[in-house]
Amino acid sequence: MKALGRWLTEHGMTVGSPIALLLAWEWASATGLLRAVFFPRPSTILAHLRDLALDGTLWGHTATTLARIGWSFTLAAVLGVAIGLAMGLWRRLREGLDPVFAVIYPIPSVLFLPLVSFIVPAGEVALVVTSAVTSFFLIAFTTTHGVRQIDRLVVEAAVHYGARGWRLFATVLLPGALPFIFTGLRLGLGFSLIVVVAVEIVSASRGLGALLWLSWQILKVEDMYATFFVIALLGALLSYGLAALRDRLLPWVPDVGDR
Amino acid sequence: MPTRDPKVLVSEVSVTFESHGRSVVALDRISLQAQVGEFLCIVGPSGSGKSTLLRVLAGLVRQSAGEVRIQADHPGTPLTAMVFQEHALLPWRTVRDNVTFGLENRGVGRAERDARAREMLAMVGLARFAQHYPHQLSGGMKQRVGIARALANDPEVLLMDEPLAALDAQTRTIMQEELLRIWATLGKTVVYVTHSLEEALLLGDRVVLLTARPGRVSEIYPIDLGRPRGLEVRASPAYGVLLEKIWARLREEVVRAIADDRGADPEEIGA
Repeated sequence: MKALGRWLTEHGMTVGSPIALLLAWEWASATGLLRAVFFPRPSTILAHLRDLALDGTLWGHTATTLARIGWSFTLAAVLGVAIGLAMGLWRRLREGLDPVFAVIYPIPSVLFLPLVSFIVPAGEVALVVTSAVTSFFLIAFTTTHGVRQIDRLVVEAAVHYGARGWRLFATVLLPGALPFIFTGLRLGLGFSLIVVVAVEIVSASRGLGALLWLSWQILKVEDMYATFFVIALLGALLSYGLAALRDRLLPWVPDVGDR
Repeated sequence: MPTRDPKVLVSEVSVTFESHGRSVVALDRISLQAQVGEFLCIVGPSGSGKSTLLRVLAGLVRQSAGEVRIQADHPGTPLTAMVFQEHALLPWRTVRDNVTFGLENRGVGRAERDARAREMLAMVGLARFAQHYPHQLSGGMKQRVGIARALANDPEVLLMDEPLAALDAQTRTIMQEELLRIWATLGKTVVYVTHSLEEALLLGDRVVLLTARPGRVSEIYPIDLGRPRGLEVRASPAYGVLLEKIWARLREEVVRAIADDRGADPEEIGA
């Protein structure tokens, strides 16, 4: 209890600001300052969220979206880390791929959907691949940088103490890059979620993005907000989950535990 | 004194770097030797190639000309092990795993590695910190790990590249005493690079003075201040005389190095 009290004093702003925002919204919608048709009261939205959860609608869509995020993130992570490491290790590869990546990376990934549909089966596979594009670039960039920023003196010392080839990679270059790889994974996971939901809005009949868009079109605004809330919560949970995983796996990183 | 082969023999070693299309001579025909069990200190102004010389001995830099010979008395152990200036520990390895890193790379078994790590960490006074990560240690403790890592390999020659330069003055003094104690215990041949003449006089059997770039051997001074030596040696008249004598020569080189950096005439710096 005491620990909770201390935690609350320390993180008062973190907890307080969203609550204050919700209270202000509640008040504004109740008094008619905000039009309740477009901005229903948070308490009403919460009731709708409960209904969606109880009748099972929400779980099905959430499971679909989660599976898509899982596939696209895995695809992006495996390819991004592998290619990022290779680019970090070999200058020629880096010099060859950098300009290509620089051109493709800034294109909003949803725009790849038609293109991807020509190459892989349209539908589920195209959705997953499209959602992996931006995520892949982020992970590859940070991984490359992660390899390149390793202290040269540390590498020199490792070589001096007999680490060569595979051992140099496994004991020095990979662990040295890992903090950056994790940053890339966290960013990439966020982008997988963003693009999965965006593609669901454009082209899917299931998933949270589809549910959100449908709710909007038939003007079930409360359901739209409820879905909104679920997507936001999902994003936060995934991001913090990955951060927690990082803290567990990389106890040697100085800033772990300082947040 | 019976004549025996020197432990370290450096003859006519030159190192030339390519830098921005120009070739820079870092070391110019360096010749020196270290006897078995000797503590040899190398001093010189910045840019005199002290660290480069050490890297040649470590096999990390290849000389452009000349020869380096290190007498191998114990087959199976590495010729050299280096203590780096900024400790250069692997941040993702615990203290123990840093100390055993060289052994691991050479395929030494786990039990022997652990025993060796315990022994070395006890010697540098870090037995209780085996499971810590480098970032949890102070600067002085990190450098103790660096020393334990080098010694764990039982090298023929211990190379030290300004190992105490990054530490605060008090920690440095403590570490100097520690080094003397460890060296007396193990009797290793040490080649020790420092920019501090005081440190060289406290630690060394002989001091090699290098000139400003290009690094040449200017003078080699025997330090006859007796052993075992402690901090109290700094109060002895002989120490003061030696310090004055070598500093007069070192000062010329330092001024020359500063003038060289600024592209100025040594007269202007106050030589």
